[in-house]
Amino acid sequence: MKEQLQKDFDNTIKNLSLSQKDIQVKKFYLDNFINRGFPNRREEDWKFSDLNQIIKKNIGELSFYSEYTSTNKIDTSVFVDGLEHNKIVFINGRIEKIDFDYEKKDQIEIVDQSESINELNINNSLSDLNNAFTNKSFKILVKKGYKLSKPLIIYHTTNSKIWSKNINLRLNFELAEDSSLRVIDLFNDTSEKNFLNIFYDFELKENAILKNYKVDKSENRNIKYLFNNIDQNKNSISETFIFSSGSNFFKSEINCNLKGEYSSAYVNGIFSLKDDKHHEIRTIINHLTENTISYQLIKSVLEDSSKAVYQGKIFVNSKAQKTDGYQLSNAILLHKDSEFNAKPELEIYADDVKCSHGSASGSLNEDSIFYLMSRGLNYHQSRELLINGFLLDVVEKITDSEIKNLIKNMIGIKE
Amino acid sequence: MLKISKLNAKIDNKEILKNFSLNINPGEVHAIMGPNGSGKSTLSNILSGKKGYDVSGEVLFEEKDLFEFETEERAHKGIFLAFQYPLEIPGVNTNIFLKTSLNAVRKARGEKELDAIEFLKLVKKKSRELKFDEDKLNRQLNVGFSGGEKKKNEILQMSLLAPKLSILDETDSGLDIDALKIVADGVNALRDDKNSFLIITHYQRLLDYIKPDYVHVLMNGKIVKSGGAELALELEKKGYENFH
Amino acid sequence: MDNRQKEIDNLKDYKYGFTTDIENTRAPKGLNEDVIKFISNIKKEPRWMLDFRLKAYERFKQLKEPNWQKPKYPKIDYQDLYYYSAPKSMDDKPKSLDELDPKLLETYKKLGIPLQEQARLNGIAVDAVFDSVSVATTFREELTKQGIIFCPISEAIQNHPELVKKYLGSVIPTTDHFFATLNSAVFTDGSFAYIPEGVRCPMELSTYFRINASNTGQFERTLIIADKGSYVSYLEGCTAPMRDENQLHAANVELIALDDAEIKYSTVQNWYPGDKDGKGGIYNFVTKRGLCKGKNSKISWTQVETGSAITWKYPSCILKGDNSVGEFYSIAITNNHQKADTGTKMIHLGKNTKSKIISKGISAGFSDMTYRGLVDISSRASNSNNYTQCDSLLMGNKCGAHTVPYIKNKNSESNIAHEATTSKISDEQLHYCQQRGLSAEEAVSLIVNGFCKEVLQQLPMEFAVEAQKLVGISLEGSVG
Repeated sequence: MKEQLQKDFDNTIKNLSLSQKDIQVKKFYLDNFINRGFPNRREEDWKFSDLNQIIKKNIGELSFYSEYTSTNKIDTSVFVDGLEHNKIVFINGRIEKIDFDYEKKDQIEIVDQSESINELNINNSLSDLNNAFTNKSFKILVKKGYKLSKPLIIYHTTNSKIWSKNINLRLNFELAEDSSLRVIDLFNDTSEKNFLNIFYDFELKENAILKNYKVDKSENRNIKYLFNNIDQNKNSISETFIFSSGSNFFKSEINCNLKGEYSSAYVNGIFSLKDDKHHEIRTIINHLTENTISYQLIKSVLEDSSKAVYQGKIFVNSKAQKTDGYQLSNAILLHKDSEFNAKPELEIYADDVKCSHGSASGSLNEDSIFYLMSRGLNYHQSRELLINGFLLDVVEKITDSEIKNLIKNMIGIKE
Repeated sequence: MLKISKLNAKIDNKEILKNFSLNINPGEVHAIMGPNGSGKSTLSNILSGKKGYDVSGEVLFEEKDLFEFETEERAHKGIFLAFQYPLEIPGVNTNIFLKTSLNAVRKARGEKELDAIEFLKLVKKKSRELKFDEDKLNRQLNVGFSGGEKKKNEILQMSLLAPKLSILDETDSGLDIDALKIVADGVNALRDDKNSFLIITHYQRLLDYIKPDYVHVLMNGKIVKSGGAELALELEKKGYENFH
Repeated sequence: MDNRQKEIDNLKDYKYGFTTDIENTRAPKGLNEDVIKFISNIKKEPRWMLDFRLKAYERFKQLKEPNWQKPKYPKIDYQDLYYYSAPKSMDDKPKSLDELDPKLLETYKKLGIPLQEQARLNGIAVDAVFDSVSVATTFREELTKQGIIFCPISEAIQNHPELVKKYLGSVIPTTDHFFATLNSAVFTDGSFAYIPEGVRCPMELSTYFRINASNTGQFERTLIIADKGSYVSYLEGCTAPMRDENQLHAANVELIALDDAEIKYSTVQNWYPGDKDGKGGIYNFVTKRGLCKGKNSKISWTQVETGSAITWKYPSCILKGDNSVGEFYSIAITNNHQKADTGTKMIHLGKNTKSKIISKGISAGFSDMTYRGLVDISSRASNSNNYTQCDSLLMGNKCGAHTVPYIKNKNSESNIAHEATTSKISDEQLHYCQQRGLSAEEAVSLIVNGFCKEVLQQLPMEFAVEAQKLVGISLEGSVG
C-alpha cells in the first residue's frame, strides 16, 4: 500500500496549487498514515469494527488518486421532490455544485479553504489520510442572526465510473450567534467498493441551532467513514439524526464538545440492516461546563447476518456540574446470525450530575406477537407493526416536522 | 360450537389441565370459576393458540380441530380472548392497530375491508357505546392506560371483531363497579342465540351482570362441579375449600 | 504534622496496618529459572509441577505488560522483588498449632482470625496464608469426615496430584495474560478445596491472606472444585501492613463447578490502600475465573473491595454447561488516591444460561473508579439472558466514576439488558438524616449502605456485618 500511497499522493499534489509549506504539512500527514495504516481492532475505538480487515476483504487494493479536473454531469433526478432546498452536490468526491438559491446572498459566506491546510486533529489515522488527500474544502459560514429559510441537502452521489477508490471529503460549517441551519446528508450511491472518508466540522456560536439528518438508505457496497466534530457555545443546540442502512459498512462518529453553559446535544439513530452489512455509530459527548444536556437514543433492527455496533461515551469533567446525560440503545435481533455490540460508556468527574445509560438487545417480544396474532394479524403483519412501532419513537425525536415527514417517507416508517 | 374432550396440558413438565372436557353450544354463556393456579388462564391461552404448552386431547371448534389453526386463524374464525393482562405495545398506535386487526379479520371472512373513514366512524360509535375515551385511540397501544382502560380496550376490540366465541379471562379483576357495568353491557350487547361466551373469573361479582347458563368449578386442572347460575352464589358463600 | 501524629492518624483508618517482626526465609531477589526452581524445590514439588511453572515462565518472557486499564502505575521492576518469603519457623512444617510460632498466632488473633481450637470462628474453616505460605488450616478433620479436601495448595500438589493435575490451569491457562502467567510461574501457596459428589459443605471455607514481608510479591493460587451436585461457600479476606512502597499481589483463583454444583465465592478485600497522599499500598492485580463446566451449575462471585492502592480484577464466569448460572455482585469503594478498575466477564456458551451483574461503585476524595465488564452471548447460547445494573456514587468533584461495559449479543433468542446510573448523595437525604440526629458521617454511611444493600445481602452473615462497617470506615473524611 505504501508505494501506491506515495505515487497517488505525488499525482494529487501536482494538480493542486499549494505552497511548499502546505505540501510539507500534507506530506507529514501522509507519513503518519503510512506508519499507522487503516485502523484495526487492536485500537480500542475500532475493537468492534476492524476497518483494515473490512477494506481488505471488501475492496482489496485501494487507489488514492482521484481525477478532479473534469466535471461530472449532475443527474437531477436524484434531487428530493416536494421540498424546496439548497444544495451541495458531490459526485464521486468532486464538489459539482453549491447553491443557496433560497437564501439571502449576503447572509451566507462560502469560503474556499482548499489553498490552505486546515488541519484536523483527532487521534485516528483516517484524519491523517483525510488531511493528506482532501483536495477541495469549503467552509460555509452562516452570518449572525440568520436563519436559513430552507434546508440544505448535501447529495453524496457516486456512480459506476469509480471503483476501488478512496475519496476524502471535508466540509466545515460555522454558525454565528443566533443563526440556524438544517442539513440533510443524503447518500445516493450507485458505485461499488469504494471507501469514502468524510470529515465535517461544525462550530456553533451562542444560541446557534444545527439540525443535521443523515440518511444512508440506498443499497450499495461501499465502505464509509463519517466523522463529525461539533463545538458548541452557550445556549446552542445540536440535533443529529442518523439512518444507517444502505452501505456495506458505515461508521459514523459524533464528537461533540459542549463548551458553553446551557448548550445541548441530541443524537438519535436507527440501524436497519440486512445481509452481511456492518454499521457502527460512535459518539463522544464531552460535557465541559455546567448545565449542559445530552440525550442519545439508538435503535437497531438486524436481519440476516448483519451487525450493528454502538459505542457511546458521556464524558463529564469536574467543572461540568448539573450535567444531564442520557443514552439508550435497544436492538432487535431477527436472525440467528445477526449481532449487536454495544459499549455505552460513562466517564464522570463531577458529582452533581444525572447520568445514565441503558442497553437492551434480544428477540422480538413473543408475547406482543401473540397478542397481535390473537387479534387476527398474521405473523408478518405483527412483526412489521412491532418493528415500525419500535423505530417510530426515534423518528418522532426529529424536531423539524417538514423533515420528519420527508424522512418517514424515505425510510418507510408509518405513524 | 366448542367441544373440548380430555384435554391435558403441561408446561415445563408440570401438569396443569387434566382430562378437561367442556361443551359450549351456540348462544350459551359458560362461566368457569376457580382459585388461583387452578388452570383457568392456561385454558384461555391454549384455546387462543399460545405456544409453549405440551397438549394432548381434542378441541373442536365448529367441528374442526382447533389445533390445526394458528393464533391469527383462530381469531379469523371468530375466537376472541380478552386478556387478563392486556399488553402494552410501545410505538404502535391504537387506531392503526384496531384497523389492521379488524380488516385482517374481515378479509379472512370474505367481507369488504373498511377504509379509513368507515373505520373511524365505526370505532367512534363503539367507543361512545363503551364510554371509552376517544383520545386514547390516538395513543400507543395500552401504554400508560389504567387497568380499567386496558380492559375496556379489550371489550372495544371484542365489540369491533364481533366474535362467535369470546373468552373473557378475569376481565373483572381490577375493575370498579362502573367499569364492570360497561364491560358487562358490552358483552350483553353481543349476546344472541349464535354467539357464545366463556367467562373465566375468580369472583361471582361479574356474574351479577352477565347471567351465565352454566357455571363450572375448576380445581387442580379439572372440573369438579357443574351447575346453573345458582352454583356461583353457592360458591361465593361456601368458598372453594368445600369443593375438594 | 509530625510523623508520629501522621502515623497515628493513619492507624485510625487502617487498623490492620501493623507489622509482625518475624524472621523470614526468602528466595534470592529477582525472577529467573533458578528462583522458580528454588520455589519448587522448597515446596518439594513433583517434576510435573516444576514443568508447569517453567512452561508458564517461558510464555511470560514473551508477554508484554498490559496498559489498557484506567489506573496507571509506575513501572514495576520485576527483578527487584522477592518471589518467595516465609516465616523461618515454617521451614520444618509444624505439625500442629502448638508448634506454630506464637507470633503468627498473635498476628491472626489481632486480625480477628483466631486459629486456636478453643477460639476459632464458629462455622468457618480458615486457611491462613502468611506471605508465601499457608501457616494453618482449621477444622480439617471435621471436613475430612465428609470427604471434603481443604488444605494448602502446596499440600494438595503432594497428596492429590490427580485432581491438581486435571484442574490446575484448566480455567486460567498458563498462556493467559501477563499477571496470570506470572502467577503460574511463581505462585507460592494458596488454598485448595474439593467438594465430593453430592456433598453440601457444612461450613464456610475461608482463606485469610496476609502480606507481611516488605519488597515481596504475593502470588497465591486458589483452586476450588465442586463435584456433581455439591455446594460450597467460600470466603476470602486480605490485609497487609502499612508500608511506604507499593507491593504487588497477583493471585489466580480458579473455580470449577460440575453438573448441578454451586460455588459461592465471597471476598472482602481490605489490603492496605496507601496513606492519604497516595503513598504506598498494595497493587491488587488478581485473576479470578470460574468455569460452569457442568449443566445446571452455578458460580456466584461477591466482592467488597475497599482496600489496595490499585485494584484491577474481573472475577468472571464461563457458562459452558447448559442451564448454568453466573452471578457477580460487587461493591467497590475508593477514597483518597485509590484507584480501581474492576468488573466481570460473563461468557455465555451453553444453552439457557443466565447471568446477573450488580455493581455498586463509590468514589470519594481524589480517587478513580472504573466498572469494566463484558457480556458475551455466543451464537450457540440460545435462550440465554443477562441483566446488568451498574450504579456509581460520586462524593466530591475531585474523583472519577467510569462505566465501561462491553456488550455482545450474537444470539437472536437471547436477551441482554444493561442499566447504569451515576448520582450523588442528595442534600435532601443528608439533611433528613441529620435532622433525625445522625452526624454527617453516620448519615453517609447509612445512605451508602443502603445504596449497597443488594450486594451486602449476598454475603454470608458473619461477613456482612464486617463489610457494612468497612463501607462506613472507608469513606471517613470524605464528607465535610
